[in-house]
Amino acid sequence: MGGGRLLRYVIRRLLQAIPVVLGVVVLNFLLLQLAPGDAATVLAGEAGGAPLEYIQQLRQRFGLDQPVLVQLALYIKNILVLDLGYSFRNASPVLPLILARLWPTLLLMGTTLLLSVAGGVLLGLLAAVWVRTWKDHVISFAAIIAYAMPLFWIGLMLILAFSIKLGWLPTSGMEDAAAFYEGWERVVDIAKHLVLPSITLALFYMALYARLMRATMLEQHGLDYVTTARAKGLTERQITVRHMVRNALLPVVTVAGVQIGGLLGGSVVVESVFAWPGLGQLAFQALFARDLNLLLGIFFISSCLVVAVNIVIDIVYLVLDPRIRVG
Amino acid sequence: MRRISMSVVAAALLGAVAIAGPPASAQKAGGTLVQITQPEPPNLAPYISTSAPISQVTAKVYDGLLEYGFDLKPKPALAEAWEVTPDGKTVTFKLRKGVKFHDGKPFTSADVQFTVMDVLKKVHPRGINTFRDVTAVETPDEHTAIFRLNNAAPYMLSALSGYESPMVPKHVFGQGDIRTHANANQPIGTGAFKFIEWRRGELVRLDKNPDYWRKGLPNLDRIVVRFINDEATRTAALEKGEAHVAGFGGVPYNDAKKLATLPSVEVTTKGYEMISPIVELLINTKKAPFDNQKVRQAVAYAIDRQFVIDNIWFGFGKLATGPISSNFAPSGIYTDNVTKYQVPDGIERANKLLDEAGLPKKDGGIRFEMVHDITPYGPEWQRFGEFVQQRLALIGIKASLRYEDVATWLKRTYTDYDYTLTSNFLYNLPDPVLGVHRAIHGKLIKQGTVFVNGSQWSDPRADELMDKATIEPDPKKRAAYYHEVQKIVVEASPIIWVFELNFPTVVNKRYKDVITSPLGLYTNFAGVSRE
Repeated sequence: MGGGRLLRYVIRRLLQAIPVVLGVVVLNFLLLQLAPGDAATVLAGEAGGAPLEYIQQLRQRFGLDQPVLVQLALYIKNILVLDLGYSFRNASPVLPLILARLWPTLLLMGTTLLLSVAGGVLLGLLAAVWVRTWKDHVISFAAIIAYAMPLFWIGLMLILAFSIKLGWLPTSGMEDAAAFYEGWERVVDIAKHLVLPSITLALFYMALYARLMRATMLEQHGLDYVTTARAKGLTERQITVRHMVRNALLPVVTVAGVQIGGLLGGSVVVESVFAWPGLGQLAFQALFARDLNLLLGIFFISSCLVVAVNIVIDIVYLVLDPRIRVG
Repeated sequence: MRRISMSVVAAALLGAVAIAGPPASAQKAGGTLVQITQPEPPNLAPYISTSAPISQVTAKVYDGLLEYGFDLKPKPALAEAWEVTPDGKTVTFKLRKGVKFHDGKPFTSADVQFTVMDVLKKVHPRGINTFRDVTAVETPDEHTAIFRLNNAAPYMLSALSGYESPMVPKHVFGQGDIRTHANANQPIGTGAFKFIEWRRGELVRLDKNPDYWRKGLPNLDRIVVRFINDEATRTAALEKGEAHVAGFGGVPYNDAKKLATLPSVEVTTKGYEMISPIVELLINTKKAPFDNQKVRQAVAYAIDRQFVIDNIWFGFGKLATGPISSNFAPSGIYTDNVTKYQVPDGIERANKLLDEAGLPKKDGGIRFEMVHDITPYGPEWQRFGEFVQQRLALIGIKASLRYEDVATWLKRTYTDYDYTLTSNFLYNLPDPVLGVHRAIHGKLIKQGTVFVNGSQWSDPRADELMDKATIEPDPKKRAAYYHEVQKIVVEASPIIWVFELNFPTVVNKRYKDVITSPLGLYTNFAGVSRE
């Protein structure tokens, strides 16, 4: 296929994405209007009560005294120039709030993604190779256990074992709060803090990928091309590594695409248990505080990411399976 | 190498033994204290928001004119001395000299004038009430601030801490709109610690202010305030010594009990004497049959408060007698000479009252059905709701439970008044005018004002007494007014005051003098030191 054709395809997909993202914004905006109570009530509530004049002052300041459609029109107008607005609750513009959480989120979710895809694919592959032996049973059983256990519980058990009892790793946070390390020391420190949360989260996805990989590998086993390869005289090892893995990876890539799409959302549970400063917690708090500007900002950036990831995944398909064509 | 380090250790041990005599010498300057605050504050602007976690951070950065001892009496802080005229309408503060803000500019009477008149009186949720009667703050010189009032305001002198009324710099906050000020999250005060950075979702870092006006203080080099969303992780961090202090329910009550058994940790319930939270059941007195006093009293008799304290809050509480906390006993305002609902035969009395109210038991022993709302603050509140449900069943009231999120619950309770009975808790704050009137004063009833008289009950005599107490400079007369208020309100029972909540504060024993004031974590921590 020509490079020009691919470029035209990407541009077309990007243009198609604009109405999708706008639709997401409008829909989210209207959905959030359904939640009872508003930011002014919550702020006054958090303050432990306030005179009526204070609450009215807040509503006016937040623009909550305007009709909903006027608020929506204003929001769309701002979004079109990429102005995500101001979070009154956080007394800060929305964009820096989100950006500050971006790299911890990407660090945690990226590590998790690598760990889970690598580990899951490898375990699934081994289970398929050792199918119906005790090794396969151990892997499959472990995968079911890891998949079924609640995340928060795994997290707490890991903290209990590795932080409290053994004392090897810190309980929570992204950095040593008392030390404020610089340079390499900081990198090492962050890496130590990253171990438990990323393993907790990766266990769940790893189980998913392992089961998927095992199933698709077994499915490939009886297909004609494998028989052909065998007839050609290739060794089982060559068949597995060169032919089957590549085909079996396609569904894994699809699921990984969905996982990447959810990357920016972070993981509320794991972030919460390990006090990781990610976007999941930010969105969670924004929802309960009815901080609509912030919440919509997060939704907007996440939906942009989902669209971008979808395009990238489609291109990865092309690399893995040359038979797939862009149309 | 090894030999040297061993001898250093030996010397240090010898030194420690040698100076172990007076306790002060065990203290040493330096070190970092890690405090856990839950939840993360939405902003660091205590002059515009009184959201509970904010001042756990900002009270270290902003000073007030006054500080307070455990006797609830004011002590000098930014104000070295103060004088109130006999009519209470003029209060003169002599300000400390040589005090500097963290940006190096001096603190003067102009800052006091600006803070009170242009900030607190206008945009602070409670300041609007506290300084309602202040007409002007005069500044005859840089170190004198004279408050002129319409009426005496005896509560005002209790509300001038760095928590309640933080003094902010005019040269910073006087520029631009105070409501959306760029320094809202970069506080600049006169306090013992300087704000360095806020990593959202993670921590706030405060470093020692070397130019602090109390010479030789603070002892600590740094305070880091961490935010950990999960309660089990908070407990783990405190257990491991990664964090050193947490309060305000940040540690679950059962975990506080468990932590208290560790040799490294101490659990105290002091440091809330000017906050005084009271757990209550709020009744919608406009809704039948709760418009009938007898029905409200019946419910009051039915709730076994001691059971709630012992089994749901793990003992962290004390029976409440009425709207005013026993923490006000030193000032004479508190009385327990009121109707007592915690009696052994409460259920019998309750059943009798309901019979008298014309609500006989019908099929299955049920008098009527209702919904009991639960204040959405966590698991113990749910258990409290279940307990109330069980007790109501004993007197023939069939209650179903409803648990919603904070915004929904606030709207239902204070905007729509669409509830019958809900659990709740309110702070008494440093004075009844600030913390108690809002719950029971008739003139304050306004739809949509959260935590203000949700029961919509009022009584002309009680209102009159509270109005008199508000402007009464004589403490004895004031106390007498409040005694009568307590009698009237407890008898009418628009709210069932269940117990005074004693928040546990968990403190790592290596840190000394952490809780030294009735405002506890809402103070500057200048005197805190590490062993």
